[in-house]
Amino acid sequence: MNNEKYLSVGALTKYLKYKFDIDEHLRSVFLKGEISNLKKHTTGHYYFSIKDENSKINAIMFRKNAMELTFEPEDGMKILVKGRVSIYEMTGNYQIYVEEMEEDGLGNLYIVFEKLKKDLEKEGLFDPKYKKEIPKIPEKIGIVTAPTGAAIKDILSTIKRRFPICKTILFPALVQGENAKEDIVRKIEMANQYDIDVLIVGRGGGSIEDLWAFNEECVARAIFHSKIPIISAVGHEVDFTIADFVADKRAPTPTGAAEMAVPSMYELEKLLKQYTIRASESMIKKIKYHKLWLESKKGSFVMKNPMILFENKKQYLDTLLEKGTQNIKYKIDAKKNALENIKKTYLFKKPQIIYEKQKEKLKNNIIKLELINPLNVLKRGYSLTYSGNQIITDIKNVKKEDPITIRFQNGEIKAKVIEIKEEKYGKEREKI
Amino acid sequence: MEKKEKKFEEKVTELEKIIDELENGNIELEQSIEKYAQAMQLAKECDEKLKQIEEKVNKIVSENGKLEDFDLME
Repeated sequence: MNNEKYLSVGALTKYLKYKFDIDEHLRSVFLKGEISNLKKHTTGHYYFSIKDENSKINAIMFRKNAMELTFEPEDGMKILVKGRVSIYEMTGNYQIYVEEMEEDGLGNLYIVFEKLKKDLEKEGLFDPKYKKEIPKIPEKIGIVTAPTGAAIKDILSTIKRRFPICKTILFPALVQGENAKEDIVRKIEMANQYDIDVLIVGRGGGSIEDLWAFNEECVARAIFHSKIPIISAVGHEVDFTIADFVADKRAPTPTGAAEMAVPSMYELEKLLKQYTIRASESMIKKIKYHKLWLESKKGSFVMKNPMILFENKKQYLDTLLEKGTQNIKYKIDAKKNALENIKKTYLFKKPQIIYEKQKEKLKNNIIKLELINPLNVLKRGYSLTYSGNQIITDIKNVKKEDPITIRFQNGEIKAKVIEIKEEKYGKEREKI
Repeated sequence: MEKKEKKFEEKVTELEKIIDELENGNIELEQSIEKYAQAMQLAKECDEKLKQIEEKVNKIVSENGKLEDFDLME
């Protein structure tokens, strides 16, 4: 038998693979189905099957693509994938090489979410101007969440740890499933009938379907219309729900919401201590300032010389007094003068007065004579110098070695001219 | 809840306000002494409130709107 027409398995497989690979339809396949038999290999590659009611296909997702996934694939999960179909030569199995994968159904939800977000935003429900302020120190906190589970536990334990004097009221609500949205709305409305400072609305983390109630329009509106400020706490760090956008404040987790809702007791005590210190310090500063001010005023000129406060007045008083006395004096003097004048005119008629007058005149003349007597001048320290019997009035009248006589008030000195010095202006006394 | 007494937060806010006034120093000495006494009183009241370890009970509102004590099921 001629075996030349027989193909090797390898050759056939290569041929089949070639056929698959050149087929455009198989190069880019969009496939939907359910994950089964998922194996996550240590290399990071995912091996699994995608099946529906009728068929099944093997699938592989390489590490490079698997790393891009935004969710954790699990068996039974409905998925949408994009990939290429080819043959794995070793086993001869055809399989789909998955490049992209997403959860089925989500796409739809995502579109709904985006539309609602856009609509509500346009309507102004997210506007910061509507955001109510969260009180810093609440006394009563309302909580709308499930009565069991991690969320309520986290919230209560956080409040107890940080601010144990705060009261809490739980409004138990369904937070998942068909009836969740109506229940959440009802509980928010109910809470608004109580005297509550702040309301925490939320739940623990979960899949996007689990959290979906918080993406419902009616829940968004209930949050918007709440009179009580609301902190949203949908336990999913990264994803925002519509409730998060409408709420007055968004916390990433229920614990975070509780932290936002209450202050820390420790911090508050510290703050109070600071306040008392600040009050005391500013008071001390104020008193110090007033003391200093007082000191400075004490040191001022007026306080050191208090008499200037009345000195001026005293002086003024003195002037007044003086003026007063003078006035009286003037009046008395005037009367006196008048009297004197009367006396004088009366006395004037007497001859003795004429005599007295003449005597007075004579006396005055004698005094005058006395004044011109040269001897009197000598008494004042002046002297007269003679050359012979001539008084020397000019230095030219004498020569060196001439004998001269100097006359004083009480005698004379004989002397000789030693030197003659002429002065241009004024006289110079001759030296003897 | 006794509505007559001021809320804790109101007291703290008032305290803050008074301290601001004291620190700005635009008030007269007599008035500031008054304010200071007021601040100290408020701080004392707030502090006392914080120290009041009242046995706080968590409440739950039942379907018919009744308030009941609430204990967490561990």
